[in-house]
Amino acid sequence: MRKSLIGLLLILSMVAVACGNSLEGQEVIYFGAPATDGPDGQAIQSSFDQFTEDTGIIVTYVGSENFESELLAQIEAGNPPNIALWPQPGTVRAQAEAGNLIPLEDLGVDLEEYRSNFSPYLVGLGEVDGVPYGGAHAVNLKSIVWYQPAEFDSRGYAIPDTWDEMIALADQIVAEGMTPFCFGMYSNGATGWLATDWMEDIMLRTGNGTTSYDQWVNHEIPFNDPIVKNAATYLSQIMHTDGYVVGGSDAIVSTFFGDAQNPMFERDGNGNPGCFMHRQASFIPGFWPEDAKEGLGTETTFFPFPDMEVPSDTVLGAGDMWAVLVNDEATQAVVDFMLSENYFDAIASDVAGTGSTRISAHIGFDTSKYWSPTTQKQADFLKAALAANVFRFDGSDNMPPEVGSGSFWSEMTELAVQGPGYIDTALDTIEKSWP
Amino acid sequence: MSIKSDSNKLLSFGVRIIAFSVFPMIWFLSQAILFREITNRIPRALLIFLAITIGSSFIFFLYAGMNKIISYAPKSYQEGLYGAMFVGPAIFLLGLFLFYPAIRTIYLSFRDKWGENSVGLDNYVWAFSDKIMQITIRNQFIWLVGVVTLAIMIGLIVAYVSDKLQKGEAVFKSIIFLPMAISGVGSSAIFKFIYAYRPPPLTQIGFLNGLRVTGGNDDMGNPCKNNIIENGRKIDYVNDGCTQPIGWLQQRDLTKFTSFENVTPDDSFFSWLVNFPLNTILLMIIMVWMYTGFAMIVFSAAIKAVPTEITEAGRIDGASEARIFLSVIMPYVKSTIVVVATYLTVTVLKAYDIVFVTTRGDFETNLLAVKMMDEFSKFLHFGRASTVSILIFISVVPIIVLNVFRNKEDEAL
Repeated sequence: MRKSLIGLLLILSMVAVACGNSLEGQEVIYFGAPATDGPDGQAIQSSFDQFTEDTGIIVTYVGSENFESELLAQIEAGNPPNIALWPQPGTVRAQAEAGNLIPLEDLGVDLEEYRSNFSPYLVGLGEVDGVPYGGAHAVNLKSIVWYQPAEFDSRGYAIPDTWDEMIALADQIVAEGMTPFCFGMYSNGATGWLATDWMEDIMLRTGNGTTSYDQWVNHEIPFNDPIVKNAATYLSQIMHTDGYVVGGSDAIVSTFFGDAQNPMFERDGNGNPGCFMHRQASFIPGFWPEDAKEGLGTETTFFPFPDMEVPSDTVLGAGDMWAVLVNDEATQAVVDFMLSENYFDAIASDVAGTGSTRISAHIGFDTSKYWSPTTQKQADFLKAALAANVFRFDGSDNMPPEVGSGSFWSEMTELAVQGPGYIDTALDTIEKSWP
Repeated sequence: MSIKSDSNKLLSFGVRIIAFSVFPMIWFLSQAILFREITNRIPRALLIFLAITIGSSFIFFLYAGMNKIISYAPKSYQEGLYGAMFVGPAIFLLGLFLFYPAIRTIYLSFRDKWGENSVGLDNYVWAFSDKIMQITIRNQFIWLVGVVTLAIMIGLIVAYVSDKLQKGEAVFKSIIFLPMAISGVGSSAIFKFIYAYRPPPLTQIGFLNGLRVTGGNDDMGNPCKNNIIENGRKIDYVNDGCTQPIGWLQQRDLTKFTSFENVTPDDSFFSWLVNFPLNTILLMIIMVWMYTGFAMIVFSAAIKAVPTEITEAGRIDGASEARIFLSVIMPYVKSTIVVVATYLTVTVLKAYDIVFVTTRGDFETNLLAVKMMDEFSKFLHFGRASTVSILIFISVVPIIVLNVFRNKEDEAL
């Protein structure tokens, strides 16, 4: 009995020694929120196929709907994944402050090169006290409005360049007995983020533009500042003007954001679409019905969010960010690869065949590699904005979670339900909840 | 003799301590360390094999080892030691997985976001002053009162009525009991379809909204239908005059309904209808639907245990059916009601799946258990998350205490 036990331990230790030397066969666990077998999860996994062939390092992407709580449990249990992919850079900074992350410098990353490849603004989103922890991954474009050119042309509608033109068009559509906007922001546990996106787009184009936007996000001006109130009034104009939104305020808060655009694809008894305009990020085609997906770029396409008080080329976007929790040689090799220019090749050309519309945050990435012309157009847009430093990241993602994924969401939801009279209460409540 | 007895006592005490704690602890720690060290070093298949063999033989070796130790003890102490041997691991496991985390949660509830600094009672002040927390506590209270009362009342009535059935009692009861067999997530998904909302002009797939938009005529006199094709023409509900669908799960305003449409917030009596937590009540119904069957089965057994002589005597004395139910049956099933109420109260305090699946706590429907997870994983505030869990813990305590006293009473009888 005792002898056999010693024998077993001996075998175990030999196995351990045998495996410890080369990177060949080393496993790296990559944990994120997009589901493992979903379009994004499969795309992410496919991007490592070539890498695994070249280096022998096995990268396993694991996705979970409850990513955040599962990751916390893993960290608390002392068994974190090697790399985690956060949908919000704010959480990367929170984790870095908690001491759970490894600075990129310790992983052998050339910070100068990293900053110039991904723009100092994006890199800065994953920094704590000037030390970068997060690696920029994919970005998306939010300052766009989806519409169907054929429906616009047949009625003689022009694409609105300014907010006033958009309102005029909306009034015209209402007068003709139809509904201008699709607006749905239900999102299990995150209801309200679409309204905060609208607020951010408006904030970028009102007040002092990017300056007041940055002050607002960093809480250098209070949340109930007149500039913010002005923006909320603009948003309320869309949400609460009678007949502007399909289904009214009930629809705004009760419609799942992924289904929100469906009325645009549906024709009512008179042959009219349910709505004409839908402001939503570049990833929304992934949620469209199958037959609508085929019309991406032709039947349904987008125009930029109209100009407002401050004319500018500013672009609102969001994106995810990864960071390393376990430092070993294999992980360092994976990090090197993920920061390289060709990391996004497989995702862009849709090797996995899932129709992923993710856009690389790498400024040097060749946009002609994207399989979809619509994605190419969005990527060009983003690249230009990043290079000109007028790209701004989704502000609510950069606010403390108590606000950015708490009161800002819930108060915007309440605002949608309660009507314009609630603006002051909403902004005061958010201001009070700022930690 | 007395010296020897004393040393025996000492010896037996020492052995008892080992049986209680040291031995299981060594086992746990050695396994933990072993697996921590080998996890990333050996192939996964071998790891799984080792985990299964070592893990499953654990109890066997634990008891074999303790048995061996106890056999060295004097005969007269062995019986007591064997008792300790069986209780020891249980106490150790309870301590490790229940007692220690409970203490640590209490400790964390007095500390800040990451548990680094003490913040005194701040988290508790927050728990009762924060707007969302106040609503969460209110919801928990509505659920407690509503679910427990409704499930017990409906369960009791159904049990009493089904007991009177000449035939088909089993089928009838099975149908009521069926929801018990569906998981909480499954039931919530079913009800999510009942309450589903889609913006017009999409076809309403939800049961309630499907009913709402079907029927009636619009202002032009055309019928309203849920996007039904008749004679090649689509009949929809988007025209003025048709009833519009309702977002049930966010609804807190009863003035949307025709019966209450004239109510304003200034009404002295009906103003509560303007901000009425209808969605919370709709979610509550899911749980009532799930647990009525359970209550019914337990009450049914209790009612059947009532001696027929007594109910018959009542009938001969001319008591009405309602009188017999209240004065004869009720006293008999009183203790059963307390048991069911206890069980339901604890279940409601733990309720998580229904809200998690349907609204995830949006639209002021949150419950404490979901809020606790939100604070932990969404807002990364360990202090507040611990505080919320302590609140749940504190609300369970009176029920546990009540139950202990009641058990003692029963024993006394």
